Amino acid sequence: MQSPAVDTRLEGGYRYAGFMALALVAFGAALFVFDPANVAGVQNFFLVFGSLLIEAFPFILLGALVSAAIEVFVPVSVFEKLTLLPKPLQLPAAGLAGAAFPVCECGSVPVARRLIIKGLMPSAAVTFMLAAPVLNPIVIASTVVAYRGRDILWPMVLGRAGLGFLVAMAVGYVISDESKEQLLRNRSGRSKIPEHEHEPSSSSTDSRARTKVTSFFGHLSGDFVFMGRFLVIGAMVAAALQTFVPQSVIGGVAGTPVINILAMMGLAFLLSLCSESDAFVAASFVQFGVGGQLAFLVFGPMVDTKLGILYGATFRQGFFRTVVIVVTAGTLVGCLWIEVLFG
Amino acid sequence: MSTVGTAEGLRPRERAAKSISPSRVLDCFALGSWAAVFWFLLVADRTSLYLSSRTAWVVPTGAILLTVGFLGRLLSIRSEQPRPITARSAWGIGLIVLPVITVLALPPASLGSYAASRRSTFSSGGIVSSAGDIAEGDLSLIDVAGGLRSREGVDALVERAGEEVDFTGFVTKDPGAPADEFMLTRFLVSCCVADALSVNVRVVGAPPGRFKADEWVRVSGRFYPLGRDVIVDSSDIVNVERPKRPYLSP
Repeated sequence: MQSPAVDTRLEGGYRYAGFMALALVAFGAALFVFDPANVAGVQNFFLVFGSLLIEAFPFILLGALVSAAIEVFVPVSVFEKLTLLPKPLQLPAAGLAGAAFPVCECGSVPVARRLIIKGLMPSAAVTFMLAAPVLNPIVIASTVVAYRGRDILWPMVLGRAGLGFLVAMAVGYVISDESKEQLLRNRSGRSKIPEHEHEPSSSSTDSRARTKVTSFFGHLSGDFVFMGRFLVIGAMVAAALQTFVPQSVIGGVAGTPVINILAMMGLAFLLSLCSESDAFVAASFVQFGVGGQLAFLVFGPMVDTKLGILYGATFRQGFFRTVVIVVTAGTLVGCLWIEVLFG
Repeated sequence: MSTVGTAEGLRPRERAAKSISPSRVLDCFALGSWAAVFWFLLVADRTSLYLSSRTAWVVPTGAILLTVGFLGRLLSIRSEQPRPITARSAWGIGLIVLPVITVLALPPASLGSYAASRRSTFSSGGIVSSAGDIAEGDLSLIDVAGGLRSREGVDALVERAGEEVDFTGFVTKDPGAPADEFMLTRFLVSCCVADALSVNVRVVGAPPGRFKADEWVRVSGRFYPLGRDVIVDSSDIVNVERPKRPYLSP
């Protein structure tokens, strides 16, 4: 029997959904009526915004799918075995495991979160999360294609993979002492990170298979909905920056050492491109040399507008700052060396 | 809540009472809307307005995965502990569905001269035609783009200088240019529109003032590579409809 109090809450719930739906309809009608084609910047914004999300949402869903599968179908004992690896090997192993995960960087965030909840050492999960977008074969292949015929092909491809791997491990090393509770942000309501998350409705009267399937779809939609809203915010910011900040704005510093590398990192942050295709954009900045282009390719998959917002929602405050500092420093130093060796 | 019986002993109808959980309804709405938008892109053939041909596979994949997610959530929409919708979760879902509305409500469009003024020019020599490709067959804008970036490519283009070409693109005006000149622009998209880079050729000999920015045209004429530019001395320029695939793929 449901108490009257529960009924009232349920009633109130649908009211909010109703307001939201009305707001969406009003927005759609406004778009239709005030055709933004008349305002070039606005149309540009919506095109970039839409395309970023059309590209990213399937990968978020894939990441949520893998994350849900890990939660429901992979026993905790597997992760316990992984922590038996000798300590110095754990981070490199986690980094290399990233090569097996050819998903846009947004997809690796929910998976990393799930791995941490399941018991994988947090620093290893973070190394995996940062290394996957740089080491996966699709990204390496597209980097090769983008630089084919240029004399900086191999410094770029190997530099990206090698430096990316090292920087990912550096971040993992820096946060190595943090526990799951210190690292992960609670999702709304819970007082602590659970050992593994239950769907509140799984009851002992359901058959085990049904519970697993229900739980799987519960986690899938939970992760999708959670990540999705932050991805939309990130895409809004990235689209606005792309619309209003011309790419040529950094052209003036192309010749200045160190500043040019930082400028390319800043551009990678603003553009928020998928690591599968950013090599072509980096290659277009010919005036920036090996160091600058490499910085774009190493920094971008680990830190950008979209990811910043996803990290902020997934990890505790301070994590994003740590990542930015370590990745900036590591990329800067690495790229300066490569510039000296190959520039 | 009934506590009679065990999992093995009960038939589905005899289990503890379940009712539709509002929060799961909202999840279904989010998943279903995105599934709908991907199916819409497929059916209305609008994928090429957002994605490169290299990444177009993402749309049918997304459509199928999201449909599966939606159905899976729909089939498990009942719960013994239904959770109500909070204001925060409603707006969160609203945010997720917002892009769906923009894609559905906006008329089909592609990046134009505004974007061209803000984006870099394509410079990657590697993917496009090799010098061998440039040496034979019809010249395309991709040949031009790639050719200018490598020594062999430039040589191959110079070999063919003066030949007749047919290029389709949209008009971009250079502020300081004479009235009978404009830039013919096309975007190259590797993954999604967010990474678009432009390819430009300078069209000369155009009827002054006849063509406005963002109009799609087909230019026929002789081409001449000149330093970093390619000039097309036009013999004929006609307005055309925006192509179904407005973006080129490297």
